[in-house]
Amino acid sequence: MGNPIVFIILAAIALASALGMLLSRNAVHSALFLVLNFSTIGVLFLVLNAPFLFVTQITIYAGAIMVLFLFVVMLLGAERLGGRGVEVGSWQVPVSIILALILLVTFGYVLLNGGDPAGMTGEPAIASGPREIGLTLFETYLFPFELASVLLLVAMVGVVVLRTKRGKDG
Amino acid sequence: MNAFGLAPLIIFIPAAGFLFNALFGRRFVDSDRKVGERWSGWVAAGAALSSFVIAVMLAASLVANDFEAVTVTILDWITIPAANFSVSWAIQVDTLAVTMMLVVAGVGSLIHIYAIGYMHGDPDFSRFFAYMNMFIFFMLILVSANNYLMLFVGWEGVGLCSYLLIGFWFDRIDEKKKPMNANAARKAFVVNRVGDFGMILALILLFWAFGSLDFDAVFHSAEEIFRSGHEISLFGTEVSIGLVLTAVTALFLVGAAGKSAQIPLYVWLPDAMAGPTPVSALIHAATMVTAGVYLIVRSNILYEIVRASGETLPLIGISSPALVAITGAATALLAGLIAFTQFDVKKVLAYSTISQLGFMIAAAGMGAYVAAMFHLIVHAFFKALLFLGSGNVIHGMEHGHHHLSEHGEESEHDGDFDPQDMRNMGGLRHRMKTTFVVFTIGALALAGVVPLAGFWSKDEILAHAEFNRQIGVEIALILAAICTAFYMGRQLSMVFLRKPRTEAASHASESPRLMTWTLIVLAALTILGGLLNVPFFSTGAARLAEEAHDLGLNLELEQWLEHSLLSLELEKADGLVDVPNTPLSVDFSVAGISTVVALAALGLALFVVYRNRPATAEDPDPLQKTPIWWFSVLPLNTLYYRTIVPAFNATASWLAHTVDWRFWHDWFHDRVIRDGYVALAHFIDKTIDMAIIDNGLVNGSARAARWCAFQLRRTQTGYIRNYALAVFLGVIVLVVYIIFVAN
Amino acid sequence: MGEVTIGWYVALSATLFTIGALGVLLRRNAIIIFMSIELMLNAANLTFVAFARHLNDLNGQVIVFFVITVAAAEVAVGLALIVAIFRSKNSINIDELHMLKG
Repeated sequence: MGNPIVFIILAAIALASALGMLLSRNAVHSALFLVLNFSTIGVLFLVLNAPFLFVTQITIYAGAIMVLFLFVVMLLGAERLGGRGVEVGSWQVPVSIILALILLVTFGYVLLNGGDPAGMTGEPAIASGPREIGLTLFETYLFPFELASVLLLVAMVGVVVLRTKRGKDG
Repeated sequence: MNAFGLAPLIIFIPAAGFLFNALFGRRFVDSDRKVGERWSGWVAAGAALSSFVIAVMLAASLVANDFEAVTVTILDWITIPAANFSVSWAIQVDTLAVTMMLVVAGVGSLIHIYAIGYMHGDPDFSRFFAYMNMFIFFMLILVSANNYLMLFVGWEGVGLCSYLLIGFWFDRIDEKKKPMNANAARKAFVVNRVGDFGMILALILLFWAFGSLDFDAVFHSAEEIFRSGHEISLFGTEVSIGLVLTAVTALFLVGAAGKSAQIPLYVWLPDAMAGPTPVSALIHAATMVTAGVYLIVRSNILYEIVRASGETLPLIGISSPALVAITGAATALLAGLIAFTQFDVKKVLAYSTISQLGFMIAAAGMGAYVAAMFHLIVHAFFKALLFLGSGNVIHGMEHGHHHLSEHGEESEHDGDFDPQDMRNMGGLRHRMKTTFVVFTIGALALAGVVPLAGFWSKDEILAHAEFNRQIGVEIALILAAICTAFYMGRQLSMVFLRKPRTEAASHASESPRLMTWTLIVLAALTILGGLLNVPFFSTGAARLAEEAHDLGLNLELEQWLEHSLLSLELEKADGLVDVPNTPLSVDFSVAGISTVVALAALGLALFVVYRNRPATAEDPDPLQKTPIWWFSVLPLNTLYYRTIVPAFNATASWLAHTVDWRFWHDWFHDRVIRDGYVALAHFIDKTIDMAIIDNGLVNGSARAARWCAFQLRRTQTGYIRNYALAVFLGVIVLVVYIIFVAN
Repeated sequence: MGEVTIGWYVALSATLFTIGALGVLLRRNAIIIFMSIELMLNAANLTFVAFARHLNDLNGQVIVFFVITVAAAEVAVGLALIVAIFRSKNSINIDELHMLKG
């Protein structure tokens, strides 16, 4: 959709929340900022004609993953662990910022010299609802889908193993 | 009949006999004395006999081959293509070589058989026969060689065997606790060596002058050069062939003097009597000592060329062959005189051998090569006979002595009873009848009584001297012949005749049949040997001989040897010619004089001087009060020990101490070589090895690697964020590259 | 202002990605780092979806689906690891995890 206002508002919120996560001293605050960020990105998905992904993003990312993060933060009492930021080499910070600027400049270059300015107007040309996603998933990408399920299984097993490995600490 | 292919066997069968006795003999003999001795001894004797049979076959083959010489090559020994020099081990089958082979193998076989009996009971029985076979082997190599180098190989080999056999009982010491046998053996070897030195120089000269050592090559080459009048170039200067050959023949004389016991190198032969009697018979009477004579006879062409060229030796002014003749004659006379004064039965025969060798050498020096060979052959017969006879006598005396001491009777000189001392003997003709008969035959032959062999051969030499007006030589030889008759008469009288002078002599016993039987064979040869070269005067026999000659049969030694002794149709400078074998009135005069003189001397000895004295063992010799007795102290031994030996010792000692030890060892070796080497090693060690290589390269590379690792390790901080930064950096680089560069 | 072009979305994505990278590089708290990683993943997802819309290709959205799955598995395991580390070191300050120091 070509409404720039919507985009600008959403973009602003996303950036702000991202910066908030980065700079916050309290881990819980960082997590909550991130939740906001994920939600905003979900809305952007919706604007980009991906409703299924919008729902998936909210459900899994904002809902499951971030909750998991908050659990762990609470569990470990990490809200108190903030500290300053850097102790490891005084050159870490300047170098990182320089590198990040280089990356942004590169992206800017790409933007200004390439890309196709047109194309995001009008009605979406294809349907992209759950039905279409599902069909594509189970027809073209069946094998990766199965692999992904195996991956989840492996992750579950791994988590359990990690928890019960050391009996005395566990 | 063609047996030339068998020629190598004549050498190798004795070698096989030697190996058998050397490797297995001791086991045989030690296990069962009687059977073992039989095996050991008869294998050796059988080997010698086989060589004799082959020699006979070779002689027959030569006859069938029209007396043409044949060369049978065994192997090529040295080949130097760059110097165009090659020496091969080849057997030259010609009449001269076959003659020597027959003598060596024939007399050698008889002596081997005798020795089986003589050496009975000796603990080193098999070693003896091993050495004897080895000697036959080397002697046959010597006489069958077709070049000077192989001859020299045999020459050295028989010298070695002489040393081994003289010192056979090397652990015997005399009353002064000196190892006399070992010393005698060493003396023989060392004196021989002086002669060998001359031989080697001669060989070198021959090689330089002619480029080859083969007989054929040297002789033909020499003859050609002489006839054409060319000169040989040695070391860049041109010398006449006469001069070169004078040197060569003079050096040959030195070698022959060593080997054949001429003045001044004869001193070893009397001492060599310390060996067992069969050794004395074989080596020092019949064969080895004749090698010098053979050498000169073989090289007759060279001597003839020297004679024809008229070259003389510097300082003395006589030609080389003349020097040979004079040496021979002088030796004959001197040795004859010394023989008067000896009491040891074998030493008398030793000096007699030296004297007779002088005859042969004198004959060869005068150009009478056939006469020299004739005398060599017959001398081998009767000298071997005499030596073996004396062996019987010694054996008998020892038995007598044992017999006495077994029976507990005191005999006079109990501790040092010498069974070889003639003063202890006497009257043995009753106790040892056979030995007496054969010994007498031998003695008469040696003295030159007609018609025994010695007369014909000695006479021929004298006739040659007379015919060629070599007055000095002739007189010396006649005097020597007189001496010979005299001392043989003396020996006969003291040993066999009259009454026994000691108890031991009166109990002496005859030797076993094996030993006496061989003596009988030798006596027969002595009697008949003269026929080999008898000049048949105008008798029916002469015509018979002529007819036989026309039919191609050579009955006479002279004609047999003619085929080997290439006679030169040269006009000799001093007009010497060969004595023709025709009846001459001159012959009779010489023959007559010599016979009369010999008989007179014999009679003098037997019936006048030694008639009744010495009566007992302590009685002095009748001649001891006369001036002739001075010859007993004349031998050059003392002269050597007073003058030459100390000077040599002093020089050698100076060389050893100052030059070798102080200069060479101490200074040069220690300072220069050792210290220099150590310094070099130090330098290499400290500077190069430790500093540069160890520290610099090896350690240095390790240090460099460690420094690099140390520097690189600083990136491994262990901090995750540093690693993350590194990854991020890599990503940025890639992205920048892709966007900006690779587009 | 004009239309919202793909460029705008790419710019937003890039910025979000850079912020996430800075978070990984600069923060000490292990959990915050993890969250930054998730932020980076989401920025990538946004790019995919934007291009899917732009190119009218559904595959972009399918990829995002898989990315989300993988991210979920990764987070589970990673957080379990952090908990395990906390058990032994009683701290989640990653600067204290330098036992691999060479």
